[in-house]
Amino acid sequence: MKTHFGIFSFVVIAGIAQFAGWTLAVNSPPAGKHDDPRTAELAKEVSKKGWIIYAARTSKGNWDLFIMRPDGSDIKNITNTPLFNEGLPRFSPDASRILYRRIALSESFDNNLHGMQGELVFADSDGGNAEVYGGQGEYTWASWDPEGERIACMSVKGIYFVELATKKVVGRLDRRGFFQQLTWSPDGKWLCGVANSFGTGWTVARMEIATGTTNAVSSMNNCTPDWFPDSQQLIFSYRPANQEGSEYGWTQLWMADAEGKHRSLVYGEDGRHVYGGAVSPDGIYVLFTGNMQEDGDASGSGAPMALMRLRDTPTIGGQSKALRKVHGSTKDGPVLVLPDGWEPHWTYSVLGAVK
Amino acid sequence: MTRLLIYINRHANILLLLSLPCVLGLCVSCSKKQDTGEDAKVTTLGSIEVTAQLLEIRGKIIDDPLYDYAHVMKYKVLQVHRGKVDGETIYVGHYNPAEPRSSVADARVRDIGGNLRRFKATDIHRIALEVPIDEYYMGGIINKYFGESEDPIYWALWTNLVIK
Repeated sequence: MKTHFGIFSFVVIAGIAQFAGWTLAVNSPPAGKHDDPRTAELAKEVSKKGWIIYAARTSKGNWDLFIMRPDGSDIKNITNTPLFNEGLPRFSPDASRILYRRIALSESFDNNLHGMQGELVFADSDGGNAEVYGGQGEYTWASWDPEGERIACMSVKGIYFVELATKKVVGRLDRRGFFQQLTWSPDGKWLCGVANSFGTGWTVARMEIATGTTNAVSSMNNCTPDWFPDSQQLIFSYRPANQEGSEYGWTQLWMADAEGKHRSLVYGEDGRHVYGGAVSPDGIYVLFTGNMQEDGDASGSGAPMALMRLRDTPTIGGQSKALRKVHGSTKDGPVLVLPDGWEPHWTYSVLGAVK
Repeated sequence: MTRLLIYINRHANILLLLSLPCVLGLCVSCSKKQDTGEDAKVTTLGSIEVTAQLLEIRGKIIDDPLYDYAHVMKYKVLQVHRGKVDGETIYVGHYNPAEPRSSVADARVRDIGGNLRRFKATDIHRIALEVPIDEYYMGGIINKYFGESEDPIYWALWTNLVIK
């Protein structure tokens, strides 16, 4: 009965939203229904902890940007641009602004090229006052600095730092093999990214901005790194080799100290590729996506997003018999499943214009 | 089987006569296939052009449509046509080597190609190159010589098969 009521409510809300000119994401399930009481408790715990921004396919087929409460409630489409696809949203450190990339409707986001596709756009965090910054293929792999006044970018010719107000390039570094998913650390001292310079493809690496020196954090089949708030640890996706029962293997969410001395499993599930790891601003929770298809987030319609407590790591989802053999002791804490999306990002700030 | 052998024995001369034109034809076609690998692209792209023998493909060539990468291969330089290379042995990164060179260009890497269909150790290639790879290519690299060689890695722009 409750389920029917939930669906009925969702249809009514969707109808009102459509009437009002908003386009909902394809998979925007009603929040608040949880079979596991632990999950219900987790949802309640995070429900008022700021906002999550993410890209998702709309019912019209294009990608727009959405915000929601961390329990999956109060979903709002903040771009509503049926003539463009938008993705890769990132809140500025004070969450007053967002940056993202916008591509033509005829183009699809590529999971490995997305930071170089289309145009860089800045907007208010409610999607208003959107302003294209530069031309097609410019300011690639842009990432905020801790003050929100500069961005770090990366092209084949190197890493460069741009003062937003003037568009002046205020610094340059050699790439040293970094090639995708560049992210500036919260303390402003480091960059992380995916590098090819450590003998294996797709090594998550760290670069010190002051010296340009680099170190490998996690080698072999890693991507989508992001910082913990302390700038001392990284969250990233990693596909270990030689997984039992799967020749290709499943991509899992891992974390490591930024010196690369120790890495550990955060969340894994045989049957899902876990990407898009993003730690909450207080370092207590982690967000991710779990797609049954490798690299399916951008090419498909995103994947179910999920949220869990970092104190519950490692957690293994589903039966995952092979993975449980490798990681015998897991906590298997509650995992809150959220709507389909791609590359979520979290702020605890109050968003100015969002009621 | 016995019947077949008897038949072949009886008609051996006829079979020999019939196969002669084929053998001759093969010889003619073999001699026609001699190729220096020279074409308008390999002689103009990049700043370096060499004829080199592929000594080794270390590691397995991965054929994964989801991921693009360059695979580093070891060559012995036989002749330098343009530019300068350091030493007789060079390490060359080829983009998505499971793909024939004629169809390897894509959105990430546009100006590459050639007539080489597949990479095979001991084959000789005429290659247009740039160096170092990092200044021309931004993507995954499989380099099984990491830690073993400090030599620069060249970036292959155009790769043609040489037939001696």
